[in-house]
Amino acid sequence: MTTPSDFETPNVPTWCPGCGNFGMWRALRTAYAELGIPTEALAVVWGIGCHGNGADFTRTQGFHALHGRALPVATGLHLANPELTVVVEMGDGDAFGIGLGHFAHSCRRNLDMTAITHDNQVYGLTTGQASPTTAQGVHTPSTPGGVLEQPVNTVGLAIAEGATFVARGFSDDVEHLTGLMKEAISHRGFAVLDVFQPCVTWNKLNTHAWFRERVYKLEESGWDATDRQAAMALTMSSLSDMSCSPEACRVPIGVIYREEGRPTYADGLPQLTGPLWRQALGPRDITKAVAQQS
Amino acid sequence: MIGGQAGFGIKAAGRTLARCFAQGGLHTFDLTEYPSLIRGGHNSYQVRVSPTPIHCHVTPLDVLVALNTETVERHSQGLVDGGAIVYDPKTTSVASLADPARFCIVAAPLDDIVAAAGGQRIMRNVAALGAVLGLTGYPLEFLTASLRAQFAHKAPEVAELNVTIAAKGHEYGAAAGCPFPVRLAPTPDAPPQILVDGNEAIGLGALAAGVGMYCAYPMTPASSLLHFMASHDREYGVVVKHTEDEIAAMNMVIGAAFGGARAMCATAGGGFSLMVEGLGLAGVSESAIVCGVFTRPGPATGLPTWTEQSDLRFVLHAAQGEFPRVILAPGDRADAFELTWKAFNLADQLQTPVILLGDSYLSDNRESLPPFDLSKVTIDRGKLLTEGDVASRPEALDDAGLYLRYKVTEDGVSTRALPGVKGASQLVNSYEHDEYGWGAQGEEPANRTAQNEKRMRKLELARKLAPQPARFGCDAERADISIVCFGSTKGPVLEAVEWLATEGIRACVMQIVTLWPFPADAVAAFMDRSTRTMVVEGNYTGQLEGLIRQECLRTFDWRINRYDGRPFSPEQVFETVKEVVSDDHAK
Repeated sequence: MTTPSDFETPNVPTWCPGCGNFGMWRALRTAYAELGIPTEALAVVWGIGCHGNGADFTRTQGFHALHGRALPVATGLHLANPELTVVVEMGDGDAFGIGLGHFAHSCRRNLDMTAITHDNQVYGLTTGQASPTTAQGVHTPSTPGGVLEQPVNTVGLAIAEGATFVARGFSDDVEHLTGLMKEAISHRGFAVLDVFQPCVTWNKLNTHAWFRERVYKLEESGWDATDRQAAMALTMSSLSDMSCSPEACRVPIGVIYREEGRPTYADGLPQLTGPLWRQALGPRDITKAVAQQS
Repeated sequence: MIGGQAGFGIKAAGRTLARCFAQGGLHTFDLTEYPSLIRGGHNSYQVRVSPTPIHCHVTPLDVLVALNTETVERHSQGLVDGGAIVYDPKTTSVASLADPARFCIVAAPLDDIVAAAGGQRIMRNVAALGAVLGLTGYPLEFLTASLRAQFAHKAPEVAELNVTIAAKGHEYGAAAGCPFPVRLAPTPDAPPQILVDGNEAIGLGALAAGVGMYCAYPMTPASSLLHFMASHDREYGVVVKHTEDEIAAMNMVIGAAFGGARAMCATAGGGFSLMVEGLGLAGVSESAIVCGVFTRPGPATGLPTWTEQSDLRFVLHAAQGEFPRVILAPGDRADAFELTWKAFNLADQLQTPVILLGDSYLSDNRESLPPFDLSKVTIDRGKLLTEGDVASRPEALDDAGLYLRYKVTEDGVSTRALPGVKGASQLVNSYEHDEYGWGAQGEEPANRTAQNEKRMRKLELARKLAPQPARFGCDAERADISIVCFGSTKGPVLEAVEWLATEGIRACVMQIVTLWPFPADAVAAFMDRSTRTMVVEGNYTGQLEGLIRQECLRTFDWRINRYDGRPFSPEQVFETVKEVVSDDHAK
């Protein structure tokens, strides 16, 4: 039996008071404990950003990787030992800015792992610049004239590129978020969970109150998460507009799309029968491969 | 040499020819030259054959198989007097020859031979190979056997069609109406040989070492290693991933190493540029990875299919900050096999990145060799705990029994417990970190100093473990000249040294195998014992020369640099050394 405190270290969180990361951290520890994953079998890979400071606070098999490169590190780890449960935590800059290519390709591969994005529509650790999910027109130190690009449709991108579990959560609703995390981690295939977690220091637009006024739970509206076209259409509407009024848009949270049974990347690798360290217990007999060179 | 347009099957034909000779016990060395194109453009494939061991290609040509007129125009000036040109008058003109009487001109109706047999036009290569063997008096049986083996997986009638065409070509070659001085015969009872290029040798070395994951993005000249690994993945239990880019390749390999796999990536300098931040991650996270960097001339896209040795300083300094790295440079295919499996041991023993520095000349070209001695391969995974309970390694725990991934040790190496080992929760970190791996206290000056010194101490261990420079030729004190080189320049230098000996010039060679940590004492001692010193390297700025000046405070009397995209030829080294040694005012 594991408990949430099993996943804690002596380090005290350094996030700003009121940061959405606290809710995510609580939900994650609870999800890990309720899923009963032993700490030695749970591997978490972090990118770089405020979210990544969680690496110090979380007891697990952790890897605090480079900015934007958490997914490839996690991919290598997952394929090197498919017996581990692999969770990736990234910021919105990590996943949808510098690491967007890795994100799209990871979705295509349907790797059996979970990608959780801390989506606060701003760069926190580097003091408030626009992120790839910042609304158009928002003024930041790097965009004093307002953001010119439209924000990345994060969940739409995940669905389009082939992720087989795509959900959205909100860090204020820890209980709901815990449930989503458990579903995402339990899903066999590439699970994307994009979590709204307000940045109280740098984002004065998408605040706790902003989200509370807009979010609604998909499962309460009878949403059919198996319809890929409908899921795509949903992501094309209100979800990508971060500056809309509460009347103009409602922001759905919950499981947007789910597909069971699609083969994972590892399913296509019959040679992958266990941890790859077993391939190096002694010199491999390659007599045949050498003979083929004649 | 066989030459023609890209798409004519030049490389396949050349490799088949080398196989015929190698299976007959002769020694071969191939030189392939090709533009960065799939169709059109000029390709050539040169096979050097010798009854005695050889080290590299040579420049003069004895036989030129010209599948188009351009081949005659480009290469006939390389033919020796009395050399042969095999061509089809229907498709190729020899009108550009200034003095045709110098050569043995073999007009073989290659297209007609193929048409008469009912074959496809690409099979004229087979007719041409038959003609070359006929011309040199070499038996046809090796070609016949090779064709049957190559086409065994296809319809047997295709194999027999090729055999018929080869036999017809052989008749034309044997009946050439001019005397051709070069006669070749199989060596009776010769020991078996293999044919490998540098990438195949590195791939075999990695397989033997138990590589679990290989990641790469295609880039000449490393692409063929990706193909080699992919073609063996299921049979040998390797996960081979063609990634979205080189950034992903490097980071996946680091993740795989964290999981316990022996993991490797390889690329050219351009791809390595993208891997650089990841290389630093491997350094600070103490990840055991092997990275191949196979140089082609840069900067940027440069000369994609040609060769150079201009990335030595790049791999030496790549990535911000300071961390220990090992750089090994194979000089030939035997080195490539041995240094690759050793690179995996070094990476595990040191828990730090090991770079295999090669180049196109090594990667692309095959040579005949005795089969690799697999009984010499050893696996040493260093301080690694793969399974069980971390409590079995008390030296890696703090007073409370918590695992210290980055425990400060005398040799700088900490016990590495894989994810999955009971009790071994850990944080592998790109930030500076404390012994637990946590970044929170990483910035404290005392901690930073301790962790930085711990990592850098691994270089002292590397000095003990990494291969020493190799010496060839003779004793430096008695030699007329001492030559220092690294990487694939070894071949042309060793060849030249053998030729120099026949003229009474004694040359001694030091090949620097481990370029980092630099074997300063051995190199300085070698240079101090020498009468004259020369450095031979394939770059403009003298990167090895500068490194030796930096590490040994020694300068060379002479240098040869080449940076036109072509490998050194033994003739170039031979002539230059002769000139230098005969000059009384050399010093």
